[in-house]
Amino acid sequence: MISRFKAEIATATLTASLGLVTVIGALEFGIGWGDAGPESGAFPFYIGLLVIGASLGNLAQMARDRSALQAVFLDREQAHRVGSFLVPMLAFVILAVTLGLYVATALYLAFVMWRQGGYHLIVSAASGVAAAILFYVVLEYAFQVPLLKGPLESALGLY
Amino acid sequence: MPKKTPWMIATAITVAVGSMAHADWKPTKPVEFIVTSSPGGGTDNFARVVQSIISKNNLMDQPVVVTNKGGGSGAEGYVYAKVATGDAYKLTFGTNNEYLLPYVAKLAYKASDLTPVAAMAMDEFLIWVNGNSEYKDAKSYVEAAKAKPQTLKMGGSQSKDTDQTLTSLIEDATGAKFIYVPFQGGGAAGVQLAGGHIDSNTNNPNENVGQWKAGAVKPLCVFSPTRLAEGPKVTADMGWADIPTCKEAGVPIDQFQMPRTVWLPSNVPQDAVTFYADLLKKVSQTPEWKEYIERTSQTNRFLVGEQLKSFIADDDAKNKKVFEREGWIVK
Amino acid sequence: MENFASLLHGFSVALTTYHIALMIVGVLLGILVGVLPGLGAPNGVSLLLPLTFTMDPVSAIILLTSMYWGALFGGSTTSILFNIPGEPSSVATTFDGYPMAKQGQAAQALTLAFLSAGFGALVGVILITVLSGWVAKFALKFSSPEYFAVYFLAFASFVGLGGTSPFKTIVSLGLGFAFAAVGMDTVSGALRLTYGFSDLLGGISFLIAVIGLFGIGELMLTMEEGLRFDGIRARVRPRDVIKTIATMPRYWVALLRSSAIGCWMGITPGGPTAASFMSYGLAKRLSRRRDGFGKGEPEGVVAPETADHAAGSSAILPMLALGVPGSATAAVMMGGLMIWGLNPGPMLFIERPDFVWGLIASMYLGNIVAVLVVLTTIPLFASILRIPFAIIGPIIVVVCFIGAYTVAGRSFDLWLALVFGLVGYLFKKLDYPIAPLVLAMVLGDKAEDAFRQSMIMSRGSLSIFWSNGLVGTLITLGLVLAFWPLVSAALRKRAKSDASSVIA
Repeated sequence: MISRFKAEIATATLTASLGLVTVIGALEFGIGWGDAGPESGAFPFYIGLLVIGASLGNLAQMARDRSALQAVFLDREQAHRVGSFLVPMLAFVILAVTLGLYVATALYLAFVMWRQGGYHLIVSAASGVAAAILFYVVLEYAFQVPLLKGPLESALGLY
Repeated sequence: MPKKTPWMIATAITVAVGSMAHADWKPTKPVEFIVTSSPGGGTDNFARVVQSIISKNNLMDQPVVVTNKGGGSGAEGYVYAKVATGDAYKLTFGTNNEYLLPYVAKLAYKASDLTPVAAMAMDEFLIWVNGNSEYKDAKSYVEAAKAKPQTLKMGGSQSKDTDQTLTSLIEDATGAKFIYVPFQGGGAAGVQLAGGHIDSNTNNPNENVGQWKAGAVKPLCVFSPTRLAEGPKVTADMGWADIPTCKEAGVPIDQFQMPRTVWLPSNVPQDAVTFYADLLKKVSQTPEWKEYIERTSQTNRFLVGEQLKSFIADDDAKNKKVFEREGWIVK
Repeated sequence: MENFASLLHGFSVALTTYHIALMIVGVLLGILVGVLPGLGAPNGVSLLLPLTFTMDPVSAIILLTSMYWGALFGGSTTSILFNIPGEPSSVATTFDGYPMAKQGQAAQALTLAFLSAGFGALVGVILITVLSGWVAKFALKFSSPEYFAVYFLAFASFVGLGGTSPFKTIVSLGLGFAFAAVGMDTVSGALRLTYGFSDLLGGISFLIAVIGLFGIGELMLTMEEGLRFDGIRARVRPRDVIKTIATMPRYWVALLRSSAIGCWMGITPGGPTAASFMSYGLAKRLSRRRDGFGKGEPEGVVAPETADHAAGSSAILPMLALGVPGSATAAVMMGGLMIWGLNPGPMLFIERPDFVWGLIASMYLGNIVAVLVVLTTIPLFASILRIPFAIIGPIIVVVCFIGAYTVAGRSFDLWLALVFGLVGYLFKKLDYPIAPLVLAMVLGDKAEDAFRQSMIMSRGSLSIFWSNGLVGTLITLGLVLAFWPLVSAALRKRAKSDASSVIA
């Protein structure tokens, strides 16, 4: 179980570090003001500082209101539900970059329908493959938009 | 590392590999055209015209898919081509930015990471001023800029790209000094000139012809050794051939042009390079291509093989000199 | 009345059975690409372009613009039904459109969106009919300082520092600006904030952020709440559509105001995205029901949609007259113009009046056709929502990622969309506003470029922002709006003290 307080602190720390990364990146390009107006790093530099400042402001506010922020941010049940959505989605992205988007689509749809939708495995697998083929026909043939492809498509000689 | 060596090695390898693998290379799946500009840009137009000519005249059995990768002034497209090494199905369309970009920005590709296939046309540059401007010729404009250094505004597309390079060349050749204002593209620079917000720009003919017709802008001179080809009059009394060359007009720059180039990734079979060079040669002989060249007032010049390499080496050296003088080179 | 005569001539060009058929085909194809994953109006237009090479230019532009209208309507559909904006300009439609759909009012939201969009587009077309010459000249007055002022005005009217924690608003806004700064910097030609990653060369696409923050982030919230769309199982009867049509006159103030904002932003090159955000922001400030905004307030759908389409259609004219495309779609269309042998520019109106006025006439007809077509398809789209979540949920996920990939064809963007999804989920749960981030990403780099170009022109002096009446007015107006919460508080205080002094 995660309390709202912890979530707030973690997020504010995250945004502050993003601000810091921006500031460091911007320093490389000069942050001064010349004849040609501000240099290319100036704008990101001050934006970075602003983000850091506001994140610190958030942290201060959180520290002050700590007692009011003990509410539950994510309980076990919710975490389970989010996880059961997030993990297959993560697997989908990993499959997409290794096996291509079409294969990943078929596998992902089939898995989610089967495990979470409670459909029969054969129905799920058929739907997944059908959806992938449908996307393929519409995108590659009708609209000539190429998607990421993997070893299967090469083996079939499609691309 | 000296710039030419990797090319030679690459060529040697491709020749060796190519001669072993295929006697006569032909595409067996769709070919991807990578455009190193966003939709609507000059390079985009170039690639799409080539695509339309190929499909209209059935010059290739396989279909063509065009993708725009214009991020980072086109660097995105070149990096993409670099990663696709050995893939003879990815043809990259660009300008001289292929070998000039790596000088001015830290990029994840080197000029030698791509194999040149052909240069198909040369885009011309002109000095343009507002239609109501008091300046009638290039000489008086440059004199005015000399008299009041850093007051006249020269607009152009992007920074440290062809327009700014040309501006720097003009400054070096004449001693004038302009304020260079970079815009997102030639179109925007053209509108800013028509609206009188800047004093001049160095747009390509195609980028300003609409405004010229309406009298909102007027050309002073063209950076070409000879005048542009004769054609129908653009305004009531002037056509492209009536514009003096800059040398005639007293700006001592003989020539400044931008090649429209086509590239393949490295390590592709030599036969594939030959195949595409022949294909593009056929494209350049069609009436549609001739019509495109005329409409955009470019100069038709088709270069492949050794001629292309020596042109690139030459153009590369000329531009590098300017970059060095201006201190634009990174690292 | 010269324009009116030209328009009548235009109608005679456009009103043929062949052209009406082209409009219907164009609109249907447009809706298809607008709704389908990863396809937008630019894809559709560039795909159809080769087909038009052999067509007469008037017919060709009618086909392409009709497709454009269709795609805009299709984009609003996905915003409302799935919280996934198809086009940048329909982001603001999600703010109230999606909550309405969640409450079972999908049909009402879609009807309102389509009708207001149609209304806005018509106002835009009427404007360019009446004022065509003036509009083109006025657009020429705009240079970098004026551009900056227009963007500033859009920011000022949308981002008020009220509402939730001001720190959170600033963090969101700042992150948006930082993301927008990644990639090539036009003014210096340098690559910024890429940290050596080639994948960041092209910058962080705004569309990826939207797909992640809105689409995936929303799905995660839905999941957490228990695997279903709340009450989104809309039962759509044609009667609902008709009933909603009858409520339209109620929003006349919002319609007129939003049309005015849209036309203004379309002509001054603020564009449809800035217009829709600005219109939503002003509607929220000025409405009597401002507390309902963000929770499914119909006016929150009417305002951005009207402004979006008013801007989209009024922007066509400066594009033709100046030759500067306002959007990717417009750029592809302009490429088409050149291939058909037409040169965009001021002379187009004089050289090819049949083309220009045929196009303007077709904008009237095309939008009417589009509204009729989309209204009849509402029940079809709304029925998508009756598909069980175990099927439609993962399909939306796939659609989001396919969309993310097609933006630039980079597998890196798949990861980016996933990260933005997590950020969206976190931000929504912790009450960070997402809209300022989105607006900053859309307008941030444009505003910065305009600012720095102005500084180059003025050689570093800020006085350029008050150098003429136009830019001075815009900037001052922007400042007033930006500090409006303070101004209004001061006014209220003063009014109170006046009142109390009267009593005393």
